[in-house]
Amino acid sequence: MKFVGIAGSIADESYNRKLLTYIASEFSPLADIELLSIQDVPMFSQDDDQTQSAPIQYLAKKIAAADGVILATPEHNHTLAPAMKNVIEWLSFNVHPFENKPVLIVGASYYTQGSSRAQLSLRQVLESPGVGALVMPSDEFLLADVKTAFDDHGNLKDERTVKFLGSVMGKFAKWVTVLKAMNEKVPDEPWRQEDLSAGHPSDTTIDVPMDAKDWVEQGAAKTNAASGHDYVQLDRGLLTVDQLNWFLNTFPMEATYMDDNNQFVYYNHFLDHDDMLAPRYPWQVGNAAISCHPERARDHVKQVIWMLRSKQKDLFAMPVPGNKLNEKYIMHYYRAMRDGDDNYRGVNEWVLDIWPIVADYLRRTGQTLAPDPSAKPDAVSGASQSAKPAADASTGASESAAAPVADATSGASEAAAAPVVDATSGASDAGAAPVADATSGASEA
Amino acid sequence: MLHYIGIAGTNSAHSTNRQLIQFVARHYAQDATVELVELGDLPLFYKTADHSVPAAATALAAKIEVADGVIIATPEYDHSVPAVLSSALAWLSYHIHPFAGKPVLIMGASYGSLGTSRAQAQLRQILESPELDARIMPSAEFMVGHSLAAFDDNGDLKDLTLVAQLDALMTNFAIFADVNRQLTAKMTRTADWQDSNH
Repeated sequence: MKFVGIAGSIADESYNRKLLTYIASEFSPLADIELLSIQDVPMFSQDDDQTQSAPIQYLAKKIAAADGVILATPEHNHTLAPAMKNVIEWLSFNVHPFENKPVLIVGASYYTQGSSRAQLSLRQVLESPGVGALVMPSDEFLLADVKTAFDDHGNLKDERTVKFLGSVMGKFAKWVTVLKAMNEKVPDEPWRQEDLSAGHPSDTTIDVPMDAKDWVEQGAAKTNAASGHDYVQLDRGLLTVDQLNWFLNTFPMEATYMDDNNQFVYYNHFLDHDDMLAPRYPWQVGNAAISCHPERARDHVKQVIWMLRSKQKDLFAMPVPGNKLNEKYIMHYYRAMRDGDDNYRGVNEWVLDIWPIVADYLRRTGQTLAPDPSAKPDAVSGASQSAKPAADASTGASESAAAPVADATSGASEAAAAPVVDATSGASDAGAAPVADATSGASEA
Repeated sequence: MLHYIGIAGTNSAHSTNRQLIQFVARHYAQDATVELVELGDLPLFYKTADHSVPAAATALAAKIEVADGVIIATPEYDHSVPAVLSSALAWLSYHIHPFAGKPVLIMGASYGSLGTSRAQAQLRQILESPELDARIMPSAEFMVGHSLAAFDDNGDLKDLTLVAQLDALMTNFAIFADVNRQLTAKMTRTADWQDSNH
């Protein structure tokens, strides 16, 4: 087993480096532990990306190749050492070697605390999504009064401390082994090749920085885009850009265009961010897919796009979590867009609450929903399964309630009157409700 | 007229936290001067054998010493304060103590919706350590989310609710600085015993 160790100090003298040196020597039967220097790492700056520089590449490669990492942090002002934080910032910027890497935290201090608060803040930093390390839970190795803790040969003097450190190291080795086994089981599925950072420009990609807040304006200037009164010829029709906007912005759904390069290039902007079912800001247009989806959603996004791109499906529908039965049912639909040669050209995503439509249908047709006792409740992916029994229910109901509905189309007065008259002749099954609804339905029509 | 030092916890040329400090300076110019200082000249902190600190740290310390308070706007990297800020604070508490007893107001701006809430909590913890011994404005937080869209072309905060919140904070900060002056006159500095320990 191969570990690397980093002490969070760039001073010439460091007790935390001394602690790591001791660990590397004492536990060499357990693992090959190499100490990495952070002496030459420059101050992190997002303006001056030095990810490719030797000191950072050296750390990134060594960490990526190791089975586990041991970090020893001093404590400054109740938090982790700036030098340690600085290294982690570089290693969570454009490279992410800590991702899914098992990490053990240790620390030493002059006085009683043994870097206790620094260890907590280091843990918090390592567990943030940009870093994504797998920090070993529960055990804390806090070495206090470090000035007197080592003998002249650099060995820890206190036997109980050595014994405890041994148990922590043994547990860490086990932690590394378990995680390794877990990670190896994940097969390399083809959907993982979807590039959410939009790094594969297509013939419609515009050469404007995707993260520019005014991507639309910059792109419009660059392409001399049609606008306002300019006419656009469509399949099938002819509209001005203004007309096209009026048209798209009055569709009863939020529509988004994610192109074949996984770049978010359009949405019909008729609502403010806070009023949207799938909130978007105008300045997000132009962003790569990765910028508009949180980390936890990205694998799922890749799967959906891949499913559409590779023609496994043309349409994928999904209810959002937190929908309320018979109150609100927000659906996301993803439909593949393909050109005349059947090449994938992006996804048309539309979002809407389908409950008002269902509720309106029920009201107009005088029906109610009833649970299907034979349907399996499936709250998560239930769109297709729960839709089926609902459809069956309406078919069943129509047999008894169809008459007034059908009549409603052919004439309001007749429809309203018919069941009332019929009631005497015994069409009681249809009931009074459809009558009332047929009247109101007819008057609206 | 009150005089504050404004620190944006960044070394980036384009920072919405610097924009925030600049807005504060301009918006409250009638009540206080806010001098924006930069951290870019400070090297990454390390313990020097002779306990010396870089000239840039001494110069910054001198400015903080004479100010009525310090306003810090922190970005958030990896759920915490950027290294460039924690490093600066480490220099500013290494055998010098410009923050001791100094009123500090914490705020922050971020691209996402959270507005640096976690970095602010950590900054509070750092400033409360005995070596820094700052007087953080109690129960105050000011978080600007979605900061790329938060300012208009003049650099003014667009959200009037946020501005009203900031108005109250700045008024209270002036009162806090005044009360703190009376308080510190009567208190022993924590850092005095801390120095003898190093």
